[in-house]
Amino acid sequence: MQIEPTPIIQASGLKLRIGSTQLLDDAGLAISAGERLAIVGPNGAGKTTLIRCLLGLTHPDSGSILLNGYPLAQLKPAELARQISYVPQQLAERISFTAMEFISMSRYAYGGGGGFKQVDSEGLKATQQAIELTGIEHLSHQALSTMSGGERQKVSIAAALAQQAPTLILDEPSAHLDPKQRDIIHCLLVKIAREQNITLIVITHDLNWASSDFDRVIGMKDGQTLIDAQADKFMQQETLMEIFDADWLLHPHPESGRPMVLPRQSLKA
Amino acid sequence: MTDRAKSTLLITMFGLTVLTALVMPWLGHHLPSWDVIFRPRADDIDAIIFWQIRVPRVLLSLLAGAGLSLGGVVFQALFRNPLATPFTLGVASGASLGVTIAMVTGIHFSLLGLSGTSLAAFSGAILSIALVYGIARASGKLSPTTMLLGGVAISFFFSSLILLLQYLGDAGSSFRILHWLMGDISRASMDSVLQLAPFIISGILITSLLHRELNLLSITDDIAASRGVHVDRTRLLLFFAVSLMVAGIITVCGPIGFVGIMAPHICRILIGANHRFLIPASLLFGATFLTLCDTLARSITSSAEVPVGIITAILGGPFFLWLLLSKNRSLP
Repeated sequence: MQIEPTPIIQASGLKLRIGSTQLLDDAGLAISAGERLAIVGPNGAGKTTLIRCLLGLTHPDSGSILLNGYPLAQLKPAELARQISYVPQQLAERISFTAMEFISMSRYAYGGGGGFKQVDSEGLKATQQAIELTGIEHLSHQALSTMSGGERQKVSIAAALAQQAPTLILDEPSAHLDPKQRDIIHCLLVKIAREQNITLIVITHDLNWASSDFDRVIGMKDGQTLIDAQADKFMQQETLMEIFDADWLLHPHPESGRPMVLPRQSLKA
Repeated sequence: MTDRAKSTLLITMFGLTVLTALVMPWLGHHLPSWDVIFRPRADDIDAIIFWQIRVPRVLLSLLAGAGLSLGGVVFQALFRNPLATPFTLGVASGASLGVTIAMVTGIHFSLLGLSGTSLAAFSGAILSIALVYGIARASGKLSPTTMLLGGVAISFFFSSLILLLQYLGDAGSSFRILHWLMGDISRASMDSVLQLAPFIISGILITSLLHRELNLLSITDDIAASRGVHVDRTRLLLFFAVSLMVAGIITVCGPIGFVGIMAPHICRILIGANHRFLIPASLLFGATFLTLCDTLARSITSSAEVPVGIITAILGGPFFLWLLLSKNRSLP
């Protein structure tokens, strides 16, 4: 008999209404330590709202979120930051901090930089380690405002890693990148998550990435978490039809054998 | 620029501020002799001018300059808006409205050693702080945009009331109001220095302790919160600490413009955006700049003094533009 591991995050029955819009309507998810979970769905499905609830940035009207068995709402911001780190869609271009400054700011939740100091020696070590893991040594003294989108995104990931939280949540981390930069960021994330045993929750529109690099995929629509399945089970015509209302071709990847989606040629006729 | 270079720059700026504080009391229409200042006879007018007028004035402009500049740094970070100034949230217009009402109605009173004008200014400033906070609270959450727009709306509303009162008032009170609105340090005394000092010192202490929070808040609320900052609580603390400090400055010196918006930008160009260095740099720059401007204001003409607010803008504007353009040219 297989024993189910206790989930580190367990959210259920989340509802949130703002004005006349039902942003979340009975949404939920559970994730175990070390798992990689992709959240997919059409625009406006409530993906970002759901992860904002998990990050404590948005408070649902009802429902429960447990982090290691404790209600998330009872945690102080710093306690939560030591458990979950966050990479937003993209960092604003106007940020004029250097990569080093920006990354070391992620050590805030650990204190240590009291008074005039920025970080303590432990924080400096974590910062250096995050810079090495993401391979951005050459950027560390450059201002974010002078970097390309891909470089800024690597810095953003490094900053989240320096937070040394066991869970990392990313909101469309490759949405604004060119195809090559997108691949680089995807590979980097999965490699680091494997090596550091980090639990990964990622919102993405890249179904092929979800299929090839994630353990599970959650499909959202109209504020509901409709489908929660193993990646290869998720990648089926009926499921994609239900979530995206789109009829795509599915074809196994020549190398990995994982199902990939392809647009139908006949639609263009 | 390395941290070591930034520290060196800070030490240099500190040296310049000390030099300014030591030299400026000697300058004016007339250079007093060393002997007269340090071994004065009872009725020596030079000694009286030095100790009772020029020294308090230099001290007051150091305090006010530092406070206004710090206010700009904090509000620009807090509201992530380069145009935010210590006055953006209506503090100055609230104070000005208070003074206008006091001058037009001709009410004369004093309380705890404070003049009616000071009390009216301080009450007006506190009223506008409370209104902006109330508007932001009523909208549900303390979003920077709501606070900024609320502040701007209140500023315009109060400014219109000031114009209306001036229009209805007599020429004498209108002139006194106008003069007050230009900002002026000429009423400085040791009492006003002592009244203002606690506001500035507590403002400096609170903001210096929160330099890491300010760095994170200057990026986005989401980044700050996900790094562990208690966003609403920190923003409120900074908003009240800085607004009270600025209310104190306006009460004593009137609304001196320009220092609060330009000094932080100049320091950002010189030393970068990290508040760990930006806060001390802005304090020193603002203090030195306003003191130099006030010395000019009282020396430039022999007949009457020019309000210091005019000097700060005339000198600071071109200097800032020069710095901005030369910096951009050096970018790759």
